Amino acid sequence: MSIIVDVAKELLGMFLADARLTTATLFLVAIVAVLIVALRIEPLLGGGVLLLGCLAILVEATLREARHRRAS
Amino acid sequence: MDPATWSVAAPAIGSAFLASLVEVVEAFTIILAVSTLRGWRPAALGTVTALALLGLLIVLLGPLLDRVSLHLLQLIIGVLLLLFGLGWLRKAILRAAGTIPLLDEDAIFAAESAQLAEATGQRRVSLDWIAGLAAFKAVLLEGLEVAFIVIAVGAGRGLLWPVALGALAACLAVLTVGVIVHKPLAKVPENTLKFGVGVMLSAFGVFWTGEGLGIDWPGQDVALVAFAALFLGVGLMTASVLRRPSMEIAQ
Repeated sequence: MSIIVDVAKELLGMFLADARLTTATLFLVAIVAVLIVALRIEPLLGGGVLLLGCLAILVEATLREARHRRAS
Repeated sequence: MDPATWSVAAPAIGSAFLASLVEVVEAFTIILAVSTLRGWRPAALGTVTALALLGLLIVLLGPLLDRVSLHLLQLIIGVLLLLFGLGWLRKAILRAAGTIPLLDEDAIFAAESAQLAEATGQRRVSLDWIAGLAAFKAVLLEGLEVAFIVIAVGAGRGLLWPVALGALAACLAVLTVGVIVHKPLAKVPENTLKFGVGVMLSAFGVFWTGEGLGIDWPGQDVALVAFAALFLGVGLMTASVLRRPSMEIAQ
């Protein structure tokens, strides 16, 4: 039984290790989808938003975690 | 395979190989602790059973995903790869900057040996069972991430088998070296490998999420290389910023 719980924890941890990073990424993908599908902007422009957004989320999540760890 | 296929296949197989290398090194430390305390039989039995279960998972889930429409599959897998890849890369940057400690395989080996010795001391019966279960659990938990990577980067383009073989090659390489050396593989640059895999998975994530949303990337599959270079550059730069003493003072 403990193995099943550990497997479930591992699977959740794979995608939800940092709740804010997960939320921000999902929010970014939703924004890009709206831009491309509903507002019909040039798809490549949406691609640029996606790429730069992911890089920004990565940097923010890393710096935030570093600050948090150094403060505690 | 033509060159166009190789431009996706090579990063996909490479990612699976490197990710497997990292995870198998971690699992091997526990397998070694088990085999040192209880002999190779329970360690091998636990390892083979877990590998068979992971293989079954890949064989069952991989082809199932081929039935989903390509754009939807790319979008779902792309988003999952983004979540997973960015998470790995974030942790690798923090380790590279020294914010969180690097994994110490020798310390893990000592801790696992002590835990196993304590567990077997408490229960005088089924010692091999406990040892085998520890090896099984280690391989299963460490292998789950590899199974996800194999399915995610392999299923969308019909590359499941080559990618799975890449992962298997890494398993065999680590186990062969481990059996010969017979001590924790502490010298494997785990964080460098994790950094590389995080970069590749993030690049795949952007690429497939975009394709799922109908984006026609310039240069097609070659765009993957550009994305990977960007993630690598930004990752290294962030780690270098975090290493600066001024970052400490700013706190």
